[in-house]
Amino acid sequence: VDYRVSLTPEELVMLKGECGAAKQKAIEVIVRFADALGAESLCEITKAQIFVGAHHYLDVLDSDDIDEVISALYLTSDEVVSLDQVSVFTQSDATPLDPQQWREMDVPEDRFKKDCRYRDRLYGSGMAAGDSCASYLTGFVPLMGEHYVSTESHALLFMNSLWGACTNAGSIETSICAAFCGRTPYWGLHIKENRRGTHLVTVKTNPKSVHDWDLLGYAIGEELPANAIPVIVGTFERPRVEHLKSMFASMATSGTAELCHIVGMTPEAPTLEQAFAGQTPEAQITIDDAQIRAVRRTVSASGCDKLYFVSLGCPHYTLEQIQQVAEWLNGKKVHEDVVLRVWTAPGLKNSADRSGFTAMIEAAGGQLLTSTCPLVSETVPQVPAMAFDSMKQARYVGLGTAAKVFCGSVQECLESAVVGIWKGTDT
Amino acid sequence: VSECEQLTGRPVYPGVAEGEALVSLPSIPGWGGLDAETGQVIDPGNPIHECSITGKVLVLGGGKGSTGWATLFQKARVLGNGPAAMLFPTMDSRSAAAAVVSKVPVVADIDVDLFAIIRTGDWVKVDGTNGVVTLLSQHE
Repeated sequence: VDYRVSLTPEELVMLKGECGAAKQKAIEVIVRFADALGAESLCEITKAQIFVGAHHYLDVLDSDDIDEVISALYLTSDEVVSLDQVSVFTQSDATPLDPQQWREMDVPEDRFKKDCRYRDRLYGSGMAAGDSCASYLTGFVPLMGEHYVSTESHALLFMNSLWGACTNAGSIETSICAAFCGRTPYWGLHIKENRRGTHLVTVKTNPKSVHDWDLLGYAIGEELPANAIPVIVGTFERPRVEHLKSMFASMATSGTAELCHIVGMTPEAPTLEQAFAGQTPEAQITIDDAQIRAVRRTVSASGCDKLYFVSLGCPHYTLEQIQQVAEWLNGKKVHEDVVLRVWTAPGLKNSADRSGFTAMIEAAGGQLLTSTCPLVSETVPQVPAMAFDSMKQARYVGLGTAAKVFCGSVQECLESAVVGIWKGTDT
Repeated sequence: VSECEQLTGRPVYPGVAEGEALVSLPSIPGWGGLDAETGQVIDPGNPIHECSITGKVLVLGGGKGSTGWATLFQKARVLGNGPAAMLFPTMDSRSAAAAVVSKVPVVADIDVDLFAIIRTGDWVKVDGTNGVVTLLSQHE
């Protein structure tokens, strides 16, 4: 391999294949990735969140040979190698299906069995079953200055921004390879000097609900150029974790942000001046109510169509959000023509079960499912109209369907699920 | 712009290839923005919506959205529907990852405004080993 990045003796040993063929392939990808970026060296990571399992995109290679598929699509290698052990703590991102309730989500049995084979292979390599996009809700907590990788665009934006942890988005392939060789290019947001804000974002709205923050994130993402690091200022009320995870999910859908400072809230932005490291912003952006309304019109359909599918929980719901949905549904019935699915991490479902929340949701005719979502599992039903409480889910699902896709607050979605008709307000 | 104008940038992924340019400053969405089975861009509103990337010199503003962005290109490569080469104005981690999985010549960090010089339909040669882009002929 010809390469420009400088490597440590340990990394050279890995590249020569002395730590096994899988690690060799993995570090080859990381070395090529480093050269593509123009990185001068690699850095060691402490943890990895990776998108694995029998995801539908793997079907692109028509093969039952798990090693062949993993080699080609995870390690981008034409040569077939067997996975060995991950080099750092690694947990799964969202997976293709709920391993306990796959039947309830209408997944065929052969799909489940295929996923089991992939899961078993990865568990055998030392991966833990995090099974969530919102890894940070399940104990995956990289702290200030800690280098890690994640395949989940909103989670890395969340962890980089709120804790000052360090990673770049990269890709599914580069993150899986990083998990196996324990290295990633020392480039971009891994380097402190590159983390100062570039764009001043003045929020002139007063977002209150999770949906308001979701819309705000989408609007900001649309306005930012590639590679921008936004610095948010405004007189809004302090957001909570549920608000921010939705804002980051939509910001990483409409745009490319991998780090976002919020003045007075995130650790690298105690003041406006510190957020920009004393430099002048490259540009200033203002977000007002008209833009927020326009963003919702862009993603959500309008009208009052009959609904068949309502999905809540992108990113995966916190226990508090599950409780709110359960309590709202208590004593009500979801319309008989509507499938209502609520998504979370398996560990949180366990807590919801014991708290009685799952029973309340199920009694109303809804489902509490884990480990995946309609988008990732590719289980969006073929129906004329559906609703999501997530701009990310609505936007991406909308690209692949002729159905009417509505997006609104959890309140709008729940009220609509009960009456069987979209009851959201047109903006 | 004279014929055979050369632009220089940073070599991102080695190799040499040429093809018809497909140019869009707005990138394509990171999840589902490309149909790998056909090589077609599916992003209503994008200037290259419904255009095929297959065999093209793809000139994009950068990566966007999901970390599955590169995976779109990985799928396209496996199915033989990937681009011949790619050009990016600056480098971001999604674009670099797309270069690595596409395994086609890529040049970035080019010192001029790519989008003012290269237009869809131009014939362009990309030398990803040396970081040289040659505009061979312009689309009428």
